[in-house]
Amino acid sequence: MRAYQRRFFRDKTALFFTFLFPLIFLFVFGSIFNTSSVSFRVAIINNSKTEFAKTFIDNAKKDDVFKVSEDITTIDDAKKKMSRGEIDSVLELPANFGEVSEGSPVPSGTLNVYYQKGSEQSGQTVAAVMEKILDGINKGFGRPDPALKVAQVSTGSTGLSSFDYTFSGLLGFTMLSMGIFGLANSMPQEKQKGAFRRLRASPFRASQLVVANGLHYLVIALLSVLVMIIVGLTVFHFNMRGSWLIFAVYATLSAIMMLGFGLLIGGWAKNENQSAPLSNLVSFPMMFLSGTFFPRFLFPEWLQGITNYLPLTPVVDGFRRIMTENASLVSLAPEIGVICLWIIVIYFLAIRLFRWE
Amino acid sequence: MNIISVKNLRKMYDDKAVVDSISFEVKKGEIFGILGPNGAGKTTTLEMIEALRPIDGGTVTLDGIDVASEPDKVKEIIGIQLQSTNFFDKLNLREQLRMFDSLYGTTADPDKLLADVQLTEKAKSYVEQLSGGQKQRFSIAAALVNTPKVLFLDEPTTGLDPQARRNLWELIASIKKQGITVVLTTHYMDEAEILCDRLAIMDEGRIITINTPKQLIKELLGRGFTKKQQVEQANLEDVFIDLTGKAIRD
Repeated sequence: MRAYQRRFFRDKTALFFTFLFPLIFLFVFGSIFNTSSVSFRVAIINNSKTEFAKTFIDNAKKDDVFKVSEDITTIDDAKKKMSRGEIDSVLELPANFGEVSEGSPVPSGTLNVYYQKGSEQSGQTVAAVMEKILDGINKGFGRPDPALKVAQVSTGSTGLSSFDYTFSGLLGFTMLSMGIFGLANSMPQEKQKGAFRRLRASPFRASQLVVANGLHYLVIALLSVLVMIIVGLTVFHFNMRGSWLIFAVYATLSAIMMLGFGLLIGGWAKNENQSAPLSNLVSFPMMFLSGTFFPRFLFPEWLQGITNYLPLTPVVDGFRRIMTENASLVSLAPEIGVICLWIIVIYFLAIRLFRWE
Repeated sequence: MNIISVKNLRKMYDDKAVVDSISFEVKKGEIFGILGPNGAGKTTTLEMIEALRPIDGGTVTLDGIDVASEPDKVKEIIGIQLQSTNFFDKLNLREQLRMFDSLYGTTADPDKLLADVQLTEKAKSYVEQLSGGQKQRFSIAAALVNTPKVLFLDEPTTGLDPQARRNLWELIASIKKQGITVVLTTHYMDEAEILCDRLAIMDEGRIITINTPKQLIKELLGRGFTKKQQVEQANLEDVFIDLTGKAIRD
């Protein structure tokens, strides 16, 4: 027991990850969920000429909850941007919004909240916030029947089940776990057994070993994605809206990138005490911050910006856009760019930092 | 003719010289032994010659190639059996040899290699199913895949029973007959005496002496050495072999 503890405390890397890692975790997530600066990107389309509507919009712009995209002026433009995920919701003020009519002496009207089919959560949240604001105004009027109302309108392709939407997140998660955990476990095991030592005695380079391991796991990762898709199609009636070919190309690229992380960790780590916490360190933030399980629009602004560059983010976003919006490879260029950049960086590091034993 | 030439070879670990400026030559076609107690620097010396460990000082030339500057070229013409080595699991012996063959880009016949080390009937077994002696023999087969010019064996018989040791000696002698130079380390004196054409005795990172076994013994006797105990015509190992037979038990 004492010997074990001694050994443990002498392994500085293990020490770091065992103690410091949970702290980092706590810090990251604590700061996210402690903050109230959740924001929604919205566009406001004002068809009303009333003074009331103007004041209402000015106030909405001041509200921290909304980040209003000023350059969007037509409802069609707004819907298009929303379908691409550039904004979360569109607030439309109809022409009669805020009018004082004969039947109602106070400003009345219905505010339309548009949201993308599939991201009901953000639509509902925005609608709820608007309802609360309008409710406050209604109460101010002191009238029993609410004069100002909110209507939720979903746009985009209909018939998209919530499974179709989450499926891409699950696939992204599979990429992550297949890519990182398999290699990060197996390579240090081979090292400990001395199998790599023997290979090193032959004219076999680290880069060849890294690539060979990567190719091997690429096949496995793609097979597991295939199995998931088959199950998704048969059991959960997954509704594929995009091209399978594009998906296959994108999935292969994504898998190559994620495997790079496994190769980097597995190639660097001397044993599993080093590789296991390190793979957690790399994968957990991605698991939670790349939009696999939690939608990214719930995060504060600054965090959304950072998470754009996490390697898993373009994977999940890309899958989602291919499968639910039938996106083309050209329209996915930014995501593919981020992935390729990561591939270059990560494989360079994996080969440079590889250790034989 | 010398196939290996080591000059002032040095290896430092934390300011301590594990290998301290040693120089020696290995002649083509001989079995050269490096003897010494544990921690004498035998394995480190071997691994530096094999281009597995960076050289801190001095030079090693193997078949005219400078090891430090062209490690991959050296690895192509040598065969290595490591002291603590293991192979991939879940791969049978024939598959293992095919894999090593592909690493060198050579075209060796796995079945012939296995026959040479008497493992033909184990061709479809996994390495983890082999006994200690079989594992060592397989390890030598794997080291012969590229028909090397020099074969390095690091304590090949440590941990083996007397039968398996003798069997391995025969194998090493037959490899020498094929014209392959063998460099081995051991801390068994009987092994060195029987196998080696010449040997170097190492202690604390230095080479104390290099000569043929016979000459070394002659020199010792010349210094007036006598054994305390009367030398018997047989020892306990001879008794053991006589009672249990020479056949290998694996």
